[in-house]
Amino acid sequence: MDEIDALKNEVARLKAELEETRKQSTQYLQNVAHQLTAPLGAIKWSIEALKDERVPIHRKKTLLSSVYSQATILVHLIKNFSLMSSLEADHELGQFREQPEPVDPMLLSINLVNDFQPQAYDQGIRIDVDNESFLKVFGTNALLIEKNLVSQAICNVLENAVKYGDRDSRIHLIACSTADAIGILIESTGIPIADVDRERLFERSFRGESARQKVAAGTGFGLYLASRVLAFHQGHIEVQTKGRVSRFTLMFPRKRLSGRKSHG
Amino acid sequence: MVSILFVDDEPTSTVALRLLLEAKGFQCECLTDMSSALEFLRQHEVAALVSDIMMPSGNSFPEIDSSETGFHFVAMVRREFPHLGVVCLSVIGDQSKINSLKRQGVLYLRKGETPLNTAARIIESKATGITRYGG
Repeated sequence: MDEIDALKNEVARLKAELEETRKQSTQYLQNVAHQLTAPLGAIKWSIEALKDERVPIHRKKTLLSSVYSQATILVHLIKNFSLMSSLEADHELGQFREQPEPVDPMLLSINLVNDFQPQAYDQGIRIDVDNESFLKVFGTNALLIEKNLVSQAICNVLENAVKYGDRDSRIHLIACSTADAIGILIESTGIPIADVDRERLFERSFRGESARQKVAAGTGFGLYLASRVLAFHQGHIEVQTKGRVSRFTLMFPRKRLSGRKSHG
Repeated sequence: MVSILFVDDEPTSTVALRLLLEAKGFQCECLTDMSSALEFLRQHEVAALVSDIMMPSGNSFPEIDSSETGFHFVAMVRREFPHLGVVCLSVIGDQSKINSLKRQGVLYLRKGETPLNTAARIIESKATGITRYGG
């Protein structure tokens, strides 16, 4: 009898677990739909306004900039969803990963920053890459990394810096080093991160209270994916905050320094 | 000039609509949270309100969950400014909640799904009390 009761309890537990998984899956799909629909809707309306003769030509530049920003958001969202589903399918991304290649970290940073400039410009934010620090830290060396994954990690941090940044502030990308690691520091001024939230920033689907108060919708995937990408490279990502200033550091082990540079 | 207040935490999502309404002669203001929007409504003459659903509640209402701010905001606006024309603009589509908005006399439009010109005309008619067809 005890055995039957135990089995019944186990079935009930599994049923509840399945129900919870279904619920999470529905919420996830709704979130994906919401996140993808919002920028697409904005692009569609911008195109309609661009075609409308009543909207003065000098204001159409704003619309073009909006289309570019929304398309950038969309591309990064799709890449994040794709990487997320790959992670769920294969925890270590074994069959999805490329071979590491030598990448110039300064060129890579400049290219990624250029992608976000229009979005930042809309909020009066300027992003700059401290070239001198890159030359000092990396010299003629490249980083041996999986370029697409690392680009995505940097983009996720950059996108947050823009999204949660203060109007008319600046974002700096600076090369940095320690005795056994080298990397990129992204410094921005924006919403303060509470101590209790800072501990959980890299958890899957986590969004801090101040982030939700600034922008209601979001996936909470960005920093989680960034931390996973850095872990694949035997590196790490960390955050330091002081008031409204946040510093995210993406660090790689020095053994990833390669003697030759290629394109960023 | 007739003024329309937009409340949306992602202002780029409504920039096309605002530019079209401005081209039609309206003055559009855009705020990003419920608290500042309520404060604005108390201090300025506004002909119509266009509000997002999922947005921050701001400093005055920390207890409100951001996924439902718009519903609380609209209910409060309805009580305090019963004659103000209100349009909700969102991408979320919980039909029961949309029905409850409709029961309060609030129009609900989906961002990007309702044609831009139609959305602008609906907001225009809310702001002026005049319904026009065409153009």
